[in-house]
Amino acid sequence: MVARIVDLRSDTVTKPSEAMRAAMASAEVDDDVLGRDPSCFRLETEMAKILGKEAALFVPSGTMANLISVLVHCDIRGSEVILGDNSHIHIYENGGIATIGGVHPRTVKNNHDGTMDIDLIEAAIRDPKRHLVYPTTTLICLENTHGNSGGRCLSVEYTDKVGEVAKKHGLKLHIDGARIFNASVALDVPVDRLVQAADSVSVCLSKGVGAPVGSVIVGSNGFITKARRLRKTLGGGMRQVGILCAAALVAVKENVPKLENDHKKARLLADGLNEIKGLRVDTSTVETNIIYVEIEEDSRTTAAKLCKDLEEDYGILLMPMGSSRLRIVFHHQISASDVQYALSCFQQAVNGVRNQNGN
Amino acid sequence: MDMFMNEMERSLQMVVMFQNQSLGIAIWFSKEGNWTIILLPEEPIVVETISSLIFGKVPEKMVTRIVDLRSDTVTKPTEAMRAAMASAEVDDDVLGYDPTAFRLETEMAKTMGKEAALFVPSGTMGNLISVLVHCDVRGSEVILGDNCHIHIFENGGIATIGGVHPRPVKNNYDGTIDIDLIEAAIRDPNGELLYPTTKLICLENTHANSGGRCLSVEYTDRVGELAKKHGLKLHIDGARIFNASVALGVPVDRLVQAADSVSVCLSKGIGAPVGSVIVGSNNFIAKARRLRKTLGGGMRQIGILCAAALVALQENVGKLESDHKKARLFADGLNEVKGLKVDACSVETNMVFIDIEEGARIRAEMICKYLEERGILVMQESSLRLRVVLHHQISISDVQYALSCFQQAVKGVQNEMGN
Repeated sequence: MVARIVDLRSDTVTKPSEAMRAAMASAEVDDDVLGRDPSCFRLETEMAKILGKEAALFVPSGTMANLISVLVHCDIRGSEVILGDNSHIHIYENGGIATIGGVHPRTVKNNHDGTMDIDLIEAAIRDPKRHLVYPTTTLICLENTHGNSGGRCLSVEYTDKVGEVAKKHGLKLHIDGARIFNASVALDVPVDRLVQAADSVSVCLSKGVGAPVGSVIVGSNGFITKARRLRKTLGGGMRQVGILCAAALVAVKENVPKLENDHKKARLLADGLNEIKGLRVDTSTVETNIIYVEIEEDSRTTAAKLCKDLEEDYGILLMPMGSSRLRIVFHHQISASDVQYALSCFQQAVNGVRNQNGN
Repeated sequence: MDMFMNEMERSLQMVVMFQNQSLGIAIWFSKEGNWTIILLPEEPIVVETISSLIFGKVPEKMVTRIVDLRSDTVTKPTEAMRAAMASAEVDDDVLGYDPTAFRLETEMAKTMGKEAALFVPSGTMGNLISVLVHCDVRGSEVILGDNCHIHIFENGGIATIGGVHPRPVKNNYDGTIDIDLIEAAIRDPNGELLYPTTKLICLENTHANSGGRCLSVEYTDRVGELAKKHGLKLHIDGARIFNASVALGVPVDRLVQAADSVSVCLSKGIGAPVGSVIVGSNNFIAKARRLRKTLGGGMRQIGILCAAALVALQENVGKLESDHKKARLFADGLNEVKGLKVDACSVETNMVFIDIEEGARIRAEMICKYLEERGILVMQESSLRLRVVLHHQISISDVQYALSCFQQAVKGVQNEMGN
């Protein structure tokens, strides 16, 4: 049996800290549907301020945050949204914007750095003159940091340029900012400046920020009012939700300053993994807390097998992504010593040396 | 009480000018001519009410006691729940299983007599998921009451979000729908060129808009048989199913035996801060879990809320009978108030609908406002109807206090209307 677990599958695995648990136990609460829960109100007010928008709304998950945002912007029948072909909304949200929301997705190629070429975005915007056969482009979505590219950051300049394209064509801009704080820290750009061009942003609190549950949508007062109603319709209207919001308030304060550390740990491990024969990491792509590890062709293992070995023999949990790729995600509950340990386990696992840990 | 009063008189050299035990107040005048309001032990006071009693006018709002009768959703977590939340064992319920969520879901499935259960953020999502999972073919139709919660208070989500067509059938005053009317509403497959496909029948127990009335186990079984006969599923919106079970004296699993799925609220009379649970077959719940993710209800370390719910189930199901008693007490008391009318035989659980009598020359919104100024919060249903809902955080003394406020409210409003 493995005695030490190092869970690198995702930053969603973060467990609430003592301070969060204390805050949850003593949270001031009320019915957030019949009226306003005071702790929730405090969190929403704070998040709106931090992100430089008029208002905010707490929701159970990033999926609901994106779903609500897309559906509120795309409120006319026959809407279309332009988004990256490798974006989280398109790949990992059950196609909900279409199956649930009736919105048509128009994908544009994501580059390796998470951006989409501006001219390709512009080319994808439907010409209103042909409306008899076209849906109506209503929205552009960006994702920052871009998960499937390995947590890569969209610069503030790029974001502003996409914002200008959106404005020029009367479209809205939504940023899936699940890991926007990671981007802000890595780019060293204040988070409100980073999302200034966006009409709405969804921000995860349960990932690197470390809260147990939830995301927040930010936007204008008018937008958030509609979002609140749609949240109820989807079934996200929770009652004494201040319990979760109290933990989130603590999380934002405690853990945003620790994100830089997560990035350092990622770079440390990335460099170490690159030294291992049989593995390859494109270290220039490791900008935040995510690493993609390629298994080289001449190594005698697959992603699935390596993951299994690492889990069963060493207690290292990872996410396999395809037949020759692994993903590692850092968060504040992974220590520097965990990093060293993981590195040595990788070395042993890849080199076929099995550590008989108690077996 | 009397000992306390005597002691106050003796030690403070004051004379009792006015006392009202049901309001929990007393007013003394000292020999010097000053008057003091004394709070009786454990009983807060409403300064406004006293002033209006003595001086016949209402000063600025200074309410210190709130009695929230708007809904049983207002229940706040208890100390035991807060302790459980603080120490809950948690994990990522999307990547794997949160152990506390797993415990709650296992327990709820067992309690309801179904194979599996799923924790969801709200009753609305519980119903939305259930309808959409049962109605998984394009062009589905669901038969439900024309006065049911799903049809009236869930933003029409089954249609706007789920693409399911509703076929409402008349709810009777007792919350049932006539069985022959249900049967008549089932679409004839021969007409499929023009018809949607009936897939599901939904019942609601207790039925909120009828005043929290119970559907009997016999009725539920008969609807279940009808569904089976026509190859349909049966879903019960059991937001307050525990209230029904307690009021009918029928074990809850027996009560919902005929149903393929049930949505059960934990955040109402059960008193948990957040959440509902859907129960059904393993297969149904597997699909429900996926749809929950799609709708955005896939939460991570959710055991925190589930821990509170586990405590709530243990602590508060046993208190539901008390809520029903308080409701009856309330109903009987209100029936004594000239101008108000309660159909006492319709008060089966924890809800009371209050009608304003014809010719009483008062409107519901004015009563609401008057009551709110005195800290009594109720729900206005229409210009002639109010609703109150009892829960475990409303005490008997709250009920007495609220009753006396209602009495004054009616009198006060009638005076205003008369002037």
